[in-house]
Amino acid sequence: MRKILAGIETEYGLLVEGRGAEEQVDDAMALVRDYPGECLVGWDYRYESPRADLRGFRLASLAFDPEDAKFDAGRSYGKAEDIRSDRVLPNGARFYNDHGHPEYATPECRSIFELANHDCAGQIAIQRALKVFSEREGIEVRAYKNNTDFHGASYGTHEGYLVPRSVGFDRLYNSVMPMMVVRQVLVGAGKVGSETSRSADFQLSQRADHISEKANAETLYRRPIFNTRDEPHSDGQDWIRLHVICGDANMIPAATARKVGLIKLALALCEMGQAPIWQFQDPVRAFQDISRDQSYQFRVELERSSWTTAPEILESYFSAGERFLELDEEMKWVISSSRELLEDLHGNFARFKRQVDWAAKRAMLADFIESEGTSWADPQLKSFDLEYHNVDPDESLHAALVQMGEVEAGPNSTELLACLEGVNEPTRAYARGLAIRKFRKDLIGVCWRTLTFRVDGAPVEVDLKPNGEYPPQLSQANDVGTFISMLRGVQ
Amino acid sequence: MTDGDRLTRPLTREPGQKSGDEGGPSAPDIRKPEGGNELMRRMKKIDPDQAKKYRQRSGQ
Repeated sequence: MRKILAGIETEYGLLVEGRGAEEQVDDAMALVRDYPGECLVGWDYRYESPRADLRGFRLASLAFDPEDAKFDAGRSYGKAEDIRSDRVLPNGARFYNDHGHPEYATPECRSIFELANHDCAGQIAIQRALKVFSEREGIEVRAYKNNTDFHGASYGTHEGYLVPRSVGFDRLYNSVMPMMVVRQVLVGAGKVGSETSRSADFQLSQRADHISEKANAETLYRRPIFNTRDEPHSDGQDWIRLHVICGDANMIPAATARKVGLIKLALALCEMGQAPIWQFQDPVRAFQDISRDQSYQFRVELERSSWTTAPEILESYFSAGERFLELDEEMKWVISSSRELLEDLHGNFARFKRQVDWAAKRAMLADFIESEGTSWADPQLKSFDLEYHNVDPDESLHAALVQMGEVEAGPNSTELLACLEGVNEPTRAYARGLAIRKFRKDLIGVCWRTLTFRVDGAPVEVDLKPNGEYPPQLSQANDVGTFISMLRGVQ
Repeated sequence: MTDGDRLTRPLTREPGQKSGDEGGPSAPDIRKPEGGNELMRRMKKIDPDQAKKYRQRSGQ
Protein backbone atom coordinates (compact mmCIF):
# COMPACT_ATOMS: atom_id res chain seq x y z
CA MET A 1 0.00 0.00 0.00
CA ARG A 2 1.04 3.60 -0.62
CA LYS A 3 3.00 5.17 2.24
CA ILE A 4 0.83 8.19 2.97
CA LEU A 5 2.67 11.39 3.85
CA ALA A 6 1.26 12.89 7.06
CA GLY A 7 1.97 15.55 9.66
CA ILE A 8 0.58 16.73 13.00
CA GLU A 9 0.13 20.35 14.12
CA THR A 10 -0.40 20.89 17.83
CA GLU A 11 -1.51 24.15 19.43
CA TYR A 12 -0.28 24.20 23.02
CA GLY A 13 -2.11 25.74 25.95
CA LEU A 14 -0.24 28.44 27.83
CA LEU A 15 -0.43 29.44 31.49
CA VAL A 16 1.69 32.49 32.32
CA GLU A 17 1.94 33.68 35.91
CA GLY A 18 -0.05 36.86 36.52
CA ARG A 19 -1.42 37.01 33.00
CA GLY A 20 -4.55 35.80 31.25
CA ALA A 21 -6.23 35.17 27.93
CA GLU A 22 -6.18 38.94 27.24
CA GLU A 23 -2.39 38.82 26.93
CA GLN A 24 -2.09 35.35 25.45
CA VAL A 25 -1.34 36.44 21.88
CA ASP A 26 1.50 38.65 23.13
CA ASP A 27 2.84 35.84 25.31
CA ALA A 28 2.67 33.21 22.58
CA MET A 29 4.48 35.56 20.16
CA ALA A 30 7.20 36.21 22.73
CA LEU A 31 7.59 32.54 23.59
CA VAL A 32 7.98 31.49 19.95
CA ARG A 33 10.50 34.26 19.33
CA ASP A 34 12.51 33.00 22.30
CA TYR A 35 13.08 29.61 20.64
CA PRO A 36 16.84 29.23 21.21
CA GLY A 37 17.72 26.65 18.54
CA GLU A 38 18.86 27.00 14.95
CA CYS A 39 16.00 28.18 12.74
CA LEU A 40 14.96 30.37 9.83
CA VAL A 41 12.63 33.26 10.65
CA GLY A 42 9.64 33.67 8.34
CA TRP A 43 7.12 31.74 6.26
CA ASP A 44 5.79 32.02 2.74
CA TYR A 45 2.00 32.38 3.00
CA ARG A 46 1.25 32.57 -0.73
CA TYR A 47 -0.18 29.07 -0.96
CA GLU A 48 -2.43 29.23 2.08
CA SER A 49 -6.15 28.99 1.30
CA PRO A 50 -8.14 28.47 4.51
CA ARG A 51 -11.42 29.61 2.91
CA ALA A 52 -11.29 27.16 -0.02
CA ASP A 53 -13.64 24.20 0.36
CA LEU A 54 -13.07 20.69 -1.01
CA ARG A 55 -16.63 20.74 -2.32
CA GLY A 56 -15.63 23.31 -4.92
CA PHE A 57 -16.43 26.71 -3.46
CA ARG A 58 -14.77 29.39 -1.38
CA LEU A 59 -16.18 30.88 1.82
CA ALA A 60 -16.56 34.66 1.95
CA SER A 61 -15.20 34.61 5.50
CA LEU A 62 -14.46 32.19 8.31
CA ALA A 63 -16.57 32.08 11.46
CA PHE A 64 -15.08 33.18 14.77
CA ASP A 65 -16.05 32.65 18.37
CA PRO A 66 -17.83 35.84 19.52
CA GLU A 67 -16.81 35.22 23.14
CA ASP A 68 -13.17 34.86 22.15
CA ALA A 69 -13.29 37.96 19.96
CA LYS A 70 -13.91 40.06 23.08
CA PHE A 71 -10.29 39.52 24.08
CA ASP A 72 -9.19 41.42 20.97
CA ALA A 73 -11.49 44.41 21.45
CA GLY A 74 -9.47 47.59 20.99
CA ARG A 75 -6.26 45.65 20.40
CA SER A 76 -3.89 45.79 17.43
CA TYR A 77 -1.10 43.24 17.28
CA GLY A 78 0.60 44.41 14.11
CA LYS A 79 1.22 42.69 10.80
CA ALA A 80 0.12 39.07 10.35
CA GLU A 81 3.67 37.81 9.85
CA ASP A 82 4.79 39.56 13.02
CA ILE A 83 1.94 38.02 14.99
CA ARG A 84 2.68 34.55 13.70
CA SER A 85 6.44 34.92 14.34
CA ASP A 86 7.20 31.85 12.22
CA ARG A 87 10.30 29.77 12.78
CA VAL A 88 11.33 26.93 10.45
CA LEU A 89 13.52 24.34 12.18
CA PRO A 90 16.37 22.24 10.75
CA ASN A 91 14.08 19.20 10.68
CA GLY A 92 11.64 21.00 8.38
CA ALA A 93 9.10 21.66 11.17
CA ARG A 94 7.21 24.93 11.57
CA PHE A 95 6.96 26.60 14.98
CA TYR A 96 4.72 29.67 15.28
CA ASN A 97 1.98 31.51 17.14
CA ASP A 98 -1.51 30.45 16.10
CA HIS A 99 -4.30 32.45 17.74
CA GLY A 100 -2.38 32.79 21.00
CA HIS A 101 -1.09 29.23 21.06
CA PRO A 102 2.50 28.21 20.36
CA GLU A 103 2.06 25.67 17.58
CA TYR A 104 4.49 22.96 16.57
CA ALA A 105 3.81 21.52 13.12
CA THR A 106 5.90 18.40 12.64
CA PRO A 107 7.92 17.67 9.55
CA GLU A 108 5.95 15.49 7.15
CA CYS A 109 6.57 11.78 7.74
CA ARG A 110 5.65 8.53 6.01
CA SER A 111 6.16 6.28 9.04
CA ILE A 112 3.57 6.58 11.80
CA PHE A 113 6.24 5.85 14.40
CA GLU A 114 8.56 8.52 13.03
CA LEU A 115 5.64 10.93 13.13
CA ALA A 116 4.84 10.01 16.73
CA ASN A 117 8.46 10.75 17.68
CA HIS A 118 8.37 14.11 15.93
CA ASP A 119 5.10 14.93 17.65
CA CYS A 120 6.88 14.25 20.98
CA ALA A 121 9.85 16.34 19.90
CA GLY A 122 7.46 19.26 19.63
CA GLN A 123 7.15 19.12 23.42
CA ILE A 124 10.93 19.60 23.67
CA ALA A 125 10.79 22.57 21.29
CA ILE A 126 8.06 24.16 23.43
CA GLN A 127 10.01 23.49 26.63
CA ARG A 128 13.18 25.06 25.24
CA ALA A 129 11.36 28.23 24.20
CA LEU A 130 9.37 28.29 27.43
CA LYS A 131 12.53 28.13 29.56
CA VAL A 132 14.09 31.13 27.83
CA PHE A 133 10.81 33.08 27.98
CA SER A 134 10.28 32.26 31.65
CA GLU A 135 13.84 33.23 32.66
CA ARG A 136 13.79 36.43 30.61
CA GLU A 137 10.44 37.56 32.04
CA GLY A 138 11.21 36.24 35.53
CA ILE A 139 7.81 34.55 35.76
CA GLU A 140 6.48 31.02 35.94
CA VAL A 141 5.21 29.65 32.64
CA ARG A 142 3.54 26.32 31.91
CA ALA A 143 2.55 24.77 28.61
CA TYR A 144 0.03 22.00 28.07
CA LYS A 145 -0.35 19.58 25.21
CA ASN A 146 -4.14 19.32 25.43
CA ASN A 147 -7.18 20.70 23.65
CA THR A 148 -9.45 22.39 26.19
CA ASP A 149 -9.45 24.98 28.95
CA PHE A 150 -12.55 23.41 30.60
CA HIS A 151 -14.37 26.75 30.18
CA GLY A 152 -15.51 26.36 26.58
CA ALA A 153 -12.35 27.27 24.68
CA SER A 154 -10.67 24.63 22.56
CA TYR A 155 -7.50 24.59 20.49
CA GLY A 156 -6.52 21.96 18.02
CA THR A 157 -4.27 19.08 17.28
CA HIS A 158 -4.69 18.69 13.54
CA GLU A 159 -3.50 15.96 11.25
CA GLY A 160 -2.72 16.40 7.57
CA TYR A 161 -2.71 13.52 5.05
CA LEU A 162 -1.65 13.66 1.41
CA VAL A 163 -4.49 12.20 -0.67
CA PRO A 164 -4.91 12.00 -4.47
CA ARG A 165 -7.54 14.53 -5.57
CA SER A 166 -8.90 11.87 -7.91
CA VAL A 167 -10.67 10.07 -5.03
CA GLY A 168 -13.31 12.83 -4.96
CA PHE A 169 -15.09 14.39 -2.01
CA ASP A 170 -18.03 12.01 -1.58
CA ARG A 171 -15.94 8.86 -1.49
CA LEU A 172 -13.44 10.47 0.85
CA TYR A 173 -16.13 11.67 3.26
CA ASN A 174 -18.01 8.36 3.30
CA SER A 175 -14.83 6.33 3.73
CA VAL A 176 -13.15 8.28 6.49
CA MET A 177 -15.90 9.96 8.52
CA PRO A 178 -16.95 6.80 10.42
CA MET A 179 -13.34 6.23 11.46
CA MET A 180 -13.08 9.85 12.63
CA VAL A 181 -16.07 9.25 14.91
CA VAL A 182 -15.08 5.91 16.43
CA ARG A 183 -11.29 5.98 16.78
CA GLN A 184 -11.59 7.96 20.04
CA VAL A 185 -12.27 4.60 21.77
CA LEU A 186 -8.59 3.81 21.22
CA VAL A 187 -6.95 7.22 20.93
CA GLY A 188 -9.01 9.78 22.87
CA ALA A 189 -7.03 11.81 25.40
CA GLY A 190 -9.82 11.88 28.01
CA LYS A 191 -11.45 14.82 29.77
CA VAL A 192 -13.04 15.47 33.15
CA GLY A 193 -16.53 16.95 32.90
CA SER A 194 -18.47 18.64 30.14
CA GLU A 195 -18.37 22.04 28.45
CA THR A 196 -21.95 21.82 27.18
CA SER A 197 -25.34 21.60 28.84
CA ARG A 198 -25.14 17.78 28.72
CA SER A 199 -23.38 16.76 31.90
CA ALA A 200 -20.66 14.10 32.07
CA ASP A 201 -18.24 12.92 34.74
CA PHE A 202 -15.61 11.90 32.27
CA GLN A 203 -15.28 11.75 28.48
CA LEU A 204 -13.02 9.90 26.07
CA SER A 205 -12.55 12.91 23.78
CA GLN A 206 -11.29 16.39 24.56
CA ARG A 207 -12.87 17.72 21.37
CA ALA A 208 -16.35 16.15 21.38
CA ASP A 209 -17.96 19.10 23.19
CA HIS A 210 -16.47 21.46 20.61
CA ILE A 211 -17.79 19.70 17.50
CA SER A 212 -21.18 20.85 16.24
CA GLU A 213 -21.39 19.99 12.54
CA LYS A 214 -20.79 17.03 10.23
CA ALA A 215 -18.69 18.78 7.60
CA ASN A 216 -17.53 22.31 6.88
CA ALA A 217 -14.35 24.34 6.36
CA GLU A 218 -14.43 26.07 9.76
CA THR A 219 -11.86 25.50 12.51
CA LEU A 220 -12.36 28.31 15.06
CA TYR A 221 -16.13 28.03 15.55
CA ARG A 222 -18.89 25.65 14.44
CA ARG A 223 -16.18 23.00 14.23
CA PRO A 224 -16.99 19.91 12.15
CA ILE A 225 -16.07 16.23 12.38
CA PHE A 226 -14.91 16.34 8.76
CA ASN A 227 -13.05 19.52 7.87
CA THR A 228 -13.45 20.46 4.21
CA ARG A 229 -10.67 23.06 4.03
CA ASP A 230 -8.96 22.71 0.66
CA GLU A 231 -5.37 23.74 1.30
CA PRO A 232 -3.29 21.05 -0.43
CA HIS A 233 0.21 22.24 0.51
CA SER A 234 1.25 20.77 -2.85
CA ASP A 235 0.09 20.84 -6.45
CA GLY A 236 -3.69 21.08 -6.10
CA GLN A 237 -4.26 19.52 -9.50
CA ASP A 238 -3.06 16.19 -8.17
CA TRP A 239 -3.41 16.31 -4.41
CA ILE A 240 -5.53 17.35 -1.53
CA ARG A 241 -4.51 17.47 2.11
CA LEU A 242 -7.09 15.80 4.29
CA HIS A 243 -7.20 18.16 7.29
CA VAL A 244 -8.39 16.20 10.34
CA ILE A 245 -9.34 18.51 13.20
CA CYS A 246 -11.49 16.29 15.42
CA GLY A 247 -8.66 14.39 17.11
CA ASP A 248 -6.99 14.92 20.48
CA ALA A 249 -3.41 15.67 21.48
CA ASN A 250 -1.89 12.45 22.76
CA MET A 251 0.76 12.13 25.44
CA ILE A 252 1.36 8.42 24.79
CA PRO A 253 3.33 8.09 21.53
CA ALA A 254 1.77 4.70 20.70
CA ALA A 255 -1.61 6.45 20.76
CA THR A 256 -0.31 9.10 18.37
CA ALA A 257 0.95 6.43 15.98
CA ARG A 258 -2.36 4.54 16.20
CA LYS A 259 -4.41 7.73 15.75
CA VAL A 260 -2.64 8.42 12.46
CA GLY A 261 -2.51 4.75 11.46
CA LEU A 262 -6.28 4.35 11.75
CA ILE A 263 -6.93 7.27 9.42
CA LYS A 264 -4.31 5.94 7.00
CA LEU A 265 -6.09 2.58 7.02
CA ALA A 266 -9.36 4.30 6.11
CA LEU A 267 -7.60 6.34 3.40
CA ALA A 268 -5.92 3.30 1.88
CA LEU A 269 -9.29 1.54 1.70
CA CYS A 270 -10.82 4.70 0.27
CA GLU A 271 -8.28 4.77 -2.54
CA MET A 272 -9.11 1.13 -3.33
CA GLY A 273 -12.84 1.86 -3.21
CA GLN A 274 -13.18 -0.76 -0.46
CA ALA A 275 -13.84 1.25 2.69
CA PRO A 276 -16.78 -0.03 4.77
CA ILE A 277 -19.89 2.12 4.43
CA TRP A 278 -21.68 3.09 7.63
CA GLN A 279 -24.59 5.49 7.48
CA PHE A 280 -24.89 7.18 10.84
CA GLN A 281 -28.20 8.61 11.93
CA ASP A 282 -26.39 11.65 13.36
CA PRO A 283 -22.57 11.63 13.22
CA VAL A 284 -22.18 14.56 15.64
CA ARG A 285 -24.44 12.91 18.19
CA ALA A 286 -22.57 9.63 17.71
CA PHE A 287 -19.23 11.37 18.34
CA GLN A 288 -20.55 12.90 21.54
CA ASP A 289 -22.37 9.75 22.71
CA ILE A 290 -19.26 7.60 22.32
CA SER A 291 -17.21 10.21 24.17
CA ARG A 292 -19.62 10.10 27.15
CA ASP A 293 -20.37 6.39 27.28
CA GLN A 294 -18.88 5.16 30.52
CA SER A 295 -20.52 1.74 30.06
CA TYR A 296 -18.02 1.21 27.21
CA GLN A 297 -20.66 -0.31 24.94
CA PHE A 298 -20.24 2.56 22.45
CA ARG A 299 -23.52 2.03 20.66
CA VAL A 300 -23.92 3.98 17.41
CA GLU A 301 -27.34 4.72 15.91
CA LEU A 302 -27.53 4.09 12.17
CA GLU A 303 -30.01 5.09 9.53
CA ARG A 304 -33.18 3.02 9.12
CA SER A 305 -33.47 2.39 12.86
CA SER A 306 -30.41 0.11 12.94
CA TRP A 307 -27.53 0.31 15.31
CA THR A 308 -24.04 -1.04 15.79
CA THR A 309 -21.07 -0.32 18.05
CA ALA A 310 -17.82 1.57 17.65
CA PRO A 311 -15.72 -1.61 18.07
CA GLU A 312 -17.69 -3.29 15.28
CA ILE A 313 -17.07 -0.33 13.01
CA LEU A 314 -13.36 -0.46 13.82
CA GLU A 315 -13.32 -4.21 13.13
CA SER A 316 -14.98 -3.62 9.74
CA TYR A 317 -12.00 -1.46 8.74
CA PHE A 318 -9.53 -4.04 10.08
CA SER A 319 -11.08 -6.94 8.21
CA ALA A 320 -11.41 -4.88 5.01
CA GLY A 321 -7.75 -3.90 5.35
CA GLU A 322 -6.70 -7.53 5.67
CA ARG A 323 -8.87 -8.51 2.74
CA PHE A 324 -8.11 -5.77 0.25
CA LEU A 325 -4.75 -4.18 1.10
CA GLU A 326 -1.15 -5.29 0.89
CA LEU A 327 -0.43 -4.40 4.48
CA ASP A 328 3.01 -3.17 5.47
CA GLU A 329 4.45 -3.89 8.93
CA GLU A 330 3.15 -0.62 10.38
CA MET A 331 -0.39 -1.23 9.21
CA LYS A 332 -0.24 -4.80 10.50
CA TRP A 333 0.70 -3.32 13.88
CA VAL A 334 -2.18 -0.83 13.72
CA ILE A 335 -4.69 -3.62 13.12
CA SER A 336 -3.32 -6.28 15.47
CA SER A 337 -2.55 -3.95 18.39
CA SER A 338 -5.93 -2.22 18.03
CA ARG A 339 -7.72 -5.56 18.12
CA GLU A 340 -5.79 -6.52 21.23
CA LEU A 341 -6.74 -3.25 22.87
CA LEU A 342 -10.43 -3.75 22.09
CA GLU A 343 -10.22 -7.11 23.84
CA ASP A 344 -8.28 -5.62 26.74
CA LEU A 345 -10.86 -2.86 27.21
CA HIS A 346 -13.18 -5.33 28.89
CA GLY A 347 -10.76 -8.05 29.90
CA ASN A 348 -7.56 -6.37 31.01
CA PHE A 349 -7.98 -2.63 31.63
CA ALA A 350 -4.53 -2.39 33.26
CA ARG A 351 -2.98 -3.39 29.94
CA PHE A 352 -5.42 -1.26 27.92
CA LYS A 353 -4.48 1.92 29.76
CA ARG A 354 -0.78 1.48 29.02
CA GLN A 355 -1.41 2.67 25.45
CA VAL A 356 -4.58 4.74 25.75
CA ASP A 357 -4.48 8.25 27.22
CA TRP A 358 -8.13 8.46 28.28
CA ALA A 359 -7.85 5.17 30.14
CA ALA A 360 -4.57 6.07 31.86
CA LYS A 361 -6.07 9.38 32.97
CA ARG A 362 -9.36 7.86 34.07
CA ALA A 363 -7.70 5.10 36.10
CA MET A 364 -5.44 7.67 37.80
CA LEU A 365 -8.42 9.84 38.73
CA ALA A 366 -10.62 6.91 39.80
CA ASP A 367 -7.86 5.80 42.13
CA PHE A 368 -7.61 9.30 43.60
CA ILE A 369 -11.38 9.45 44.10
CA GLU A 370 -11.35 6.14 45.93
CA SER A 371 -8.31 6.86 48.09
CA GLU A 372 -9.45 10.38 49.05
CA GLY A 373 -13.13 9.54 49.40
CA THR A 374 -14.13 12.23 46.95
CA SER A 375 -16.24 12.14 43.75
CA TRP A 376 -16.16 13.05 40.06
CA ALA A 377 -17.67 16.40 41.04
CA ASP A 378 -14.45 17.33 42.88
CA PRO A 379 -13.15 20.40 40.98
CA GLN A 380 -9.50 19.54 41.56
CA LEU A 381 -9.87 16.56 39.20
CA LYS A 382 -9.83 19.04 36.31
CA SER A 383 -6.52 20.38 37.61
CA PHE A 384 -5.12 16.85 37.61
CA ASP A 385 -6.50 16.37 34.10
CA LEU A 386 -4.70 19.54 33.00
CA GLU A 387 -1.44 18.54 34.65
CA TYR A 388 -1.51 15.16 32.92
CA HIS A 389 -0.70 17.23 29.80
CA ASN A 390 2.04 19.45 31.27
CA VAL A 391 5.02 19.37 28.87
CA ASP A 392 7.50 19.57 31.75
CA PRO A 393 8.48 15.96 32.54
CA ASP A 394 9.30 16.96 36.13
CA GLU A 395 5.71 18.09 36.71
CA SER A 396 3.56 16.13 34.26
CA LEU A 397 1.26 13.47 35.68
CA HIS A 398 1.62 11.56 32.44
CA ALA A 399 5.38 11.53 32.96
CA ALA A 400 4.84 10.26 36.53
CA LEU A 401 2.79 7.37 35.17
CA VAL A 402 5.59 6.58 32.70
CA GLN A 403 8.11 6.70 35.55
CA MET A 404 5.96 4.27 37.55
CA GLY A 405 5.69 1.91 34.60
CA GLU A 406 1.93 2.41 34.35
CA VAL A 407 1.92 3.62 30.74
CA GLU A 408 4.24 2.93 27.83
CA ALA A 409 7.33 5.08 27.63
CA GLY A 410 8.12 7.11 24.54
CA PRO A 411 11.44 7.97 22.94
CA ASN A 412 14.24 9.13 25.23
CA SER A 413 15.52 12.70 25.32
CA THR A 414 18.51 11.91 23.09
CA GLU A 415 16.18 10.58 20.40
CA LEU A 416 13.88 13.58 20.75
CA LEU A 417 16.71 16.08 20.48
CA ALA A 418 17.88 14.27 17.34
CA CYS A 419 14.34 14.70 15.93
CA LEU A 420 14.71 18.47 16.26
CA GLU A 421 17.90 18.35 14.18
CA GLY A 422 16.64 16.36 11.19
CA VAL A 423 14.47 13.60 9.79
CA ASN A 424 15.22 9.95 8.99
CA GLU A 425 13.04 9.63 5.89
CA PRO A 426 13.73 10.86 2.32
CA THR A 427 10.74 13.21 2.31
CA ARG A 428 10.47 16.84 1.27
CA ALA A 429 10.93 17.71 4.96
CA TYR A 430 14.48 16.37 4.57
CA ALA A 431 15.07 18.82 1.70
CA ARG A 432 13.50 21.71 3.62
CA GLY A 433 15.64 20.96 6.66
CA LEU A 434 18.80 20.75 4.58
CA ALA A 435 17.99 24.11 3.01
CA ILE A 436 17.63 25.63 6.49
CA ARG A 437 20.95 24.19 7.63
CA LYS A 438 23.06 24.75 4.51
CA PHE A 439 21.54 27.56 2.44
CA ARG A 440 19.66 29.70 4.93
CA LYS A 441 21.32 32.91 3.71
CA ASP A 442 20.05 32.19 0.18
CA LEU A 443 16.46 31.44 1.22
CA ILE A 444 13.84 34.15 0.81
CA GLY A 445 10.74 31.99 1.20
CA VAL A 446 9.84 28.67 2.83
CA CYS A 447 6.53 26.85 3.07
CA TRP A 448 5.32 23.25 3.00
CA ARG A 449 5.16 23.27 -0.78
CA THR A 450 8.10 25.32 -2.02
CA LEU A 451 11.51 26.76 -1.28
CA THR A 452 12.40 30.12 -2.81
CA PHE A 453 16.05 31.11 -3.09
CA ARG A 454 17.69 34.31 -4.24
CA VAL A 455 20.18 33.41 -6.95
CA ASP A 456 22.21 36.16 -8.65
CA GLY A 457 19.75 38.69 -7.28
CA ALA A 458 16.63 37.00 -8.68
CA PRO A 459 14.10 34.75 -6.91
CA VAL A 460 14.15 31.09 -7.89
CA GLU A 461 11.27 28.94 -6.65
CA VAL A 462 11.48 25.16 -6.36
CA ASP A 463 8.34 23.06 -5.98
CA LEU A 464 8.92 20.19 -3.54
CA LYS A 465 7.09 17.16 -4.87
CA PRO A 466 5.17 15.78 -1.88
CA ASN A 467 5.65 12.14 -2.84
CA GLY A 468 9.23 12.53 -4.10
CA GLU A 469 12.22 10.51 -2.88
CA TYR A 470 14.80 13.05 -1.74
CA PRO A 471 18.24 11.38 -1.90
CA PRO A 472 20.95 11.68 0.76
CA GLN A 473 23.28 13.08 -1.94
CA LEU A 474 21.42 16.37 -1.51
CA SER A 475 23.52 16.92 1.59
CA GLN A 476 26.65 16.92 -0.56
CA ALA A 477 25.56 19.94 -2.60
CA ASN A 478 28.02 22.69 -1.77
CA ASP A 479 26.36 25.58 -3.57
CA VAL A 480 22.79 26.66 -3.91
CA GLY A 481 22.73 26.22 -7.70
CA THR A 482 23.67 22.54 -7.39
CA PHE A 483 21.12 22.09 -4.60
CA ILE A 484 18.35 23.58 -6.74
CA SER A 485 19.30 21.39 -9.72
CA MET A 486 19.26 18.28 -7.57
CA LEU A 487 15.88 19.21 -6.07
CA ARG A 488 14.42 19.67 -9.54
CA GLY A 489 15.61 16.19 -10.46
CA VAL A 490 13.75 14.53 -7.58
CA GLN A 491 11.16 11.97 -8.73
CA MET B 1 -31.62 5.60 21.45
CA THR B 2 -33.88 3.73 19.09
CA ASP B 3 -34.77 0.10 19.54
CA GLY B 4 -33.80 -0.89 16.01
CA ASP B 5 -31.75 -3.83 14.82
CA ARG B 6 -28.06 -4.03 15.45
CA LEU B 7 -25.73 -4.01 12.43
CA THR B 8 -22.45 -5.81 12.90
CA ARG B 9 -21.20 -5.26 9.37
CA PRO B 10 -21.17 -2.29 7.02
CA LEU B 11 -24.07 -1.83 4.67
CA THR B 12 -22.49 -2.56 1.32
CA ARG B 13 -21.12 -5.93 2.27
CA GLU B 14 -23.37 -8.67 3.66
CA PRO B 15 -25.86 -6.44 5.43
CA GLY B 16 -27.13 -9.38 7.57
CA GLN B 17 -28.80 -7.61 10.45
CA LYS B 18 -29.03 -9.36 13.78
CA SER B 19 -31.94 -8.92 16.06
CA GLY B 20 -31.37 -6.42 18.83
CA ASP B 21 -28.82 -7.50 21.41
CA GLU B 22 -29.06 -5.28 24.43
CA GLY B 23 -26.59 -7.29 26.49
CA GLY B 24 -23.33 -5.58 25.62
CA PRO B 25 -19.95 -6.21 27.18
CA SER B 26 -19.41 -6.47 30.89
CA ALA B 27 -18.02 -3.65 32.99
CA PRO B 28 -14.26 -3.12 32.65
CA ASP B 29 -11.81 -4.47 35.18
CA ILE B 30 -10.16 -1.27 36.43
CA ARG B 31 -7.03 -2.08 38.40
CA LYS B 32 -5.38 0.55 40.53
CA PRO B 33 -1.82 1.61 39.81
CA GLU B 34 0.80 0.12 42.08
CA GLY B 35 3.42 2.21 43.88
CA GLY B 36 1.75 5.55 43.36
CA ASN B 37 4.25 7.57 45.40
CA GLU B 38 5.62 9.70 42.58
CA LEU B 39 2.15 10.30 41.18
CA MET B 40 0.73 11.23 44.59
CA ARG B 41 3.71 13.47 45.32
CA ARG B 42 3.04 15.42 42.13
CA MET B 43 -0.72 15.48 42.66
CA LYS B 44 -0.27 16.98 46.11
CA LYS B 45 1.85 19.80 44.66
CA ILE B 46 -0.83 20.80 42.16
CA ASP B 47 -2.90 23.87 42.95
CA PRO B 48 -6.46 22.50 43.28
CA ASP B 49 -7.70 25.65 41.52
CA GLN B 50 -5.26 25.34 38.63
CA ALA B 51 -7.96 24.41 36.11
CA LYS B 52 -10.29 27.10 37.45
CA LYS B 53 -7.65 29.75 36.65
CA TYR B 54 -6.80 28.25 33.29
CA ARG B 55 -8.47 30.35 30.58
CA GLN B 56 -7.35 30.12 26.98
CA ARG B 57 -7.94 31.84 23.71
CA SER B 58 -10.07 29.75 21.40
CA GLY B 59 -7.77 28.20 18.80
CA GLN B 60 -8.39 26.08 15.77
